[in-house]
Amino acid sequence: MERDSRKLSELSELIKSCLENNLEQSYWIVAELMDVRVNANGHCYLELVEKDEKSDRLVAKASGVIWAQRFRMLKILFEEETGQSFASGMKVLLNVSVNFHALYGFSLVIQDLDPSFTLGEIVRKRNEIVRQLKEDGIFELNKELTMPRLPQRIAVISSETAAGYGDFCTHLREDKGGFAYYIKLFPAIMQGAQTESSVIEALNKIYARIHSFDVVVIIRGGGATSDLSWFDSYDLCANCAQFPLPIISGIGHERDESVLDMVANQRVKTPTAAAEFLLQRLYVEDEKIKELRDTLIFLANEQRQREKDRLDHCSNRLPQLARMVTESGMNSQKIWIKQLGTATKLYLMKEMHRCDLKQEQLKWLSPERLLKRGYTLTLMDGKIITSPERVHSGDRITTRFSTGEINSIIE
Amino acid sequence: MSTKSLTYEEAIQQVELLIAQIENNEISMDDLAEKIRLASEYLRFCKEKLHKVNEEIEKVLKETEEL
Repeated sequence: MERDSRKLSELSELIKSCLENNLEQSYWIVAELMDVRVNANGHCYLELVEKDEKSDRLVAKASGVIWAQRFRMLKILFEEETGQSFASGMKVLLNVSVNFHALYGFSLVIQDLDPSFTLGEIVRKRNEIVRQLKEDGIFELNKELTMPRLPQRIAVISSETAAGYGDFCTHLREDKGGFAYYIKLFPAIMQGAQTESSVIEALNKIYARIHSFDVVVIIRGGGATSDLSWFDSYDLCANCAQFPLPIISGIGHERDESVLDMVANQRVKTPTAAAEFLLQRLYVEDEKIKELRDTLIFLANEQRQREKDRLDHCSNRLPQLARMVTESGMNSQKIWIKQLGTATKLYLMKEMHRCDLKQEQLKWLSPERLLKRGYTLTLMDGKIITSPERVHSGDRITTRFSTGEINSIIE
Repeated sequence: MSTKSLTYEEAIQQVELLIAQIENNEISMDDLAEKIRLASEYLRFCKEKLHKVNEEIEKVLKETEEL
């Protein structure tokens, strides 16, 4: 029996016309990008997928293509608007037309895309992570750590070859402050799907030597379009938030911040800025040491000056006092001498007077005076005889007058 | 004074304490020289920590390479 058959190409043609007749020119759809690849001609081939919200299982999948000319334009638009690279994992709002090719089958030709949707998606996802971190009570933990006064032992998480790491080291090396610092690189992949696990692994390595470091710096190179979405990861940010050393994030983008920036102890825009932040801490301490030294010198001099003034005061005062004491001493001496003089004079005069009196009295009592008045003195052997019993007959006596003597012999 | 186990923070605090004492005239002229010598030593310790590369730390970090 001969069946009513047709060629495959005829069926394909039928499907094609069926699709064309029943579908609109294009549709706006929401999908996630997967396996994004660009061939040598500049055409972009990719998979569009939809995942179940809860289980994350694929519920729909379709091949897509963006023709080279359109892709160039859309890629620039998308990356400028969102700050994200047009890559796998992005959730996008696309304008697609359904295409069916007899040889290549069903595919969606992407005509346009709306970056604001993706931007909204990023924000929504970021907010969700932030909400979860806050709910878990860990959002603020790293921020609450005190940045050490001397963050000199620096653990750097970066891609080894990244220009950013070079910038960071150069900025520290070329500084003129002459500070000591120690940099240890913990290499990690800083973009793409492996970012999360790679950075967490680096953190674990640092944790194993936690006492060797003061601070962790997470940086990545500039140049290429910043793709921050890899740092909007709950696991990565939960690890950073709970890390016991303060983290400085320098993965930044001028325009928006990642969740990592939000949980980090300090966030800066570039690796150079991260180095500058650390240097500033050291400069502050350097200044502080200088200030303390100056204060110390000032106070010491001040106290010395005070003591010197005290001493000067005393030594100036001393001669003055001495002079005062001497002068008053001399004065009293003069007075004393004067007083002494007067007293002596009086005494002497009195004595002299007394002597005069005595002399006068004596004058009256002198034998010569008596002799002149007619009295005589009787002497024997040169001694005055005052009673007759002392002389015996035959004794030779002398009788003295005022004008002479006579000798006689007692009968 | 042993600066071996001293931290930078502690050293700075010691200097600040000494300065406060001098400011409040709590230090006699007899002790002044000694106290200033002590404070200078703390300051030198701080300055060295800030500026002088410590071989010991370099060594520890080298060992970290093996991880």
